[in-house]
Amino acid sequence: MIKINNTHEASFRDPSGYMFHDDETLRRVINPIYFPQYQKLKESGVFKTLIKNKLLIPHEETSVSEARIIITPEKIPFITNPYEWGFEQYKQAALLTLKIQKYALSKGFILKDASAYNVTFYKGKPIFIDTLSFDFYEEGTPWRAYKQFITHFFGPLILAKYHGSEVFNMLEAYIDGIPVKMISSMLPSKTKLSSVIYPNIHLLAKMESKHSEDYKAETKIAKLSKKAQNNIIESLYNYISKLTLKESSEWGNYYTKTNYNEGAFKTKKDLIRNWVQPLNAEKLIDVGGNDGTFARTVQDLVKHIIVTDIDSNAVDFNLKQIQENKEENMLPFVCDVLQPAPGIGFNNTERKSLINRLKDYAPDVTMALALIHHITLSGNVPFEKSAEFFSKFSKNLIIEFPKREDSWVESLLVRKREFINHFDFYNQEEFETGYGKYFVLTKKEEVAGTKRVMYFYSKK
Amino acid sequence: MNFLYFDPGLGAMIVQAVVAAAAGVLLFSKNAWHKLKLMLGLVKEEDAYDSIDVDEEDDTNETNDKDQ
Repeated sequence: MIKINNTHEASFRDPSGYMFHDDETLRRVINPIYFPQYQKLKESGVFKTLIKNKLLIPHEETSVSEARIIITPEKIPFITNPYEWGFEQYKQAALLTLKIQKYALSKGFILKDASAYNVTFYKGKPIFIDTLSFDFYEEGTPWRAYKQFITHFFGPLILAKYHGSEVFNMLEAYIDGIPVKMISSMLPSKTKLSSVIYPNIHLLAKMESKHSEDYKAETKIAKLSKKAQNNIIESLYNYISKLTLKESSEWGNYYTKTNYNEGAFKTKKDLIRNWVQPLNAEKLIDVGGNDGTFARTVQDLVKHIIVTDIDSNAVDFNLKQIQENKEENMLPFVCDVLQPAPGIGFNNTERKSLINRLKDYAPDVTMALALIHHITLSGNVPFEKSAEFFSKFSKNLIIEFPKREDSWVESLLVRKREFINHFDFYNQEEFETGYGKYFVLTKKEEVAGTKRVMYFYSKK
Repeated sequence: MNFLYFDPGLGAMIVQAVVAAAAGVLLFSKNAWHKLKLMLGLVKEEDAYDSIDVDEEDDTNETNDKDQ
């Protein structure tokens, strides 16, 4: 028996249907208004081909009645949002959207919206998750999701090219994409000479402000042939696939300049493996996990792993390894622990905050290696506060504490200059007191050959 | 039949004719250039890894997929 417990907080804009929770299962209702599209997509094999090519999330038809059809999509362990993607992830999500639009067009359909939230990452690849985004193509009509594609995908990517992938954070403020006018104003004037950027952004911005006062929708909409629309899609595709970022990594080559030797590196890896193994963990999150190096030491022991890092390059590098090795159980994304993604959109719940999503994910193990000194010394966060943060979603916490003598800590402390005495609290005793408020200390071990200590905490 | 549940932006609908024209010129010249380079043996045929096209192999021979 299907129970509609509560509808999904982000699923209300499209009248075609909505998502709802049936206890633990997320299902999708299709309203009669969308039956013709749904049946045609099913009969013509569009769904089948897209699913077979791993472009669209697979679903099963759960029930059919005159009032509604219910489908159940395959469960995705964790949903990441566009402002949490690295450059490469963003790019792949954009290309996926264009690829699906081109295919849909060849089958007599279009994507009726091109929201970046239609895509997420699953089994190492981007995947389209809005099964009801398709509509019939009407001969000669322009792509009505075109502007959305520009504000959600093309614009942010071009901005990232010139300003770094931090611009993706702007999507937290603009849930329906960065306004075209703003994108245009933020780009260097030389982009007006680009035969792709000029029409798709600068000219679009001009046309949008020119026609913004057509309140009665009176102006006749231009016709556009299918061939012309294909040209737009293909030229955007070609341009985006060649986009690269010109920004060097904060941590990208971190492991080549670590302050401990290979032996200590291996000791740390063995220790982690030995601690994780008996837990029979299903889900693990490595916060500040760089390119996934340490998470990979336990990859065969855990069903699903999240690796976050503040550095988008490390996330991209992780993604590259995941895709090259066809790893399906690791999900990388960008996260600044000092400012995790907030809940945004209507009611502040349309896109859940990172902490709420992590609570739902409920990892069996949380790892925070070589992170506490950054939180404490760069972020000035007291131990008790960071312990509170981890306790919100963690059961077991493996946390590494670099002592004051560690060269990274020394360098962070030296940078405090005359305020260095304000950080005398950075020591093991204070750390243990702070974390003791939320966790029970189970194990503690020095990493031989380093000035670091590993702690194993369980939530109180 | 078409239900516009969000405003597609009128300017965006009009501008697509210009965008498409520019894209057409670009794609045409790119293809011509590529063909010329192929003829002169300067490049090899690219593999389809990054291709925009969806693989539509006939799968009638395959055993039943679970997605139906």
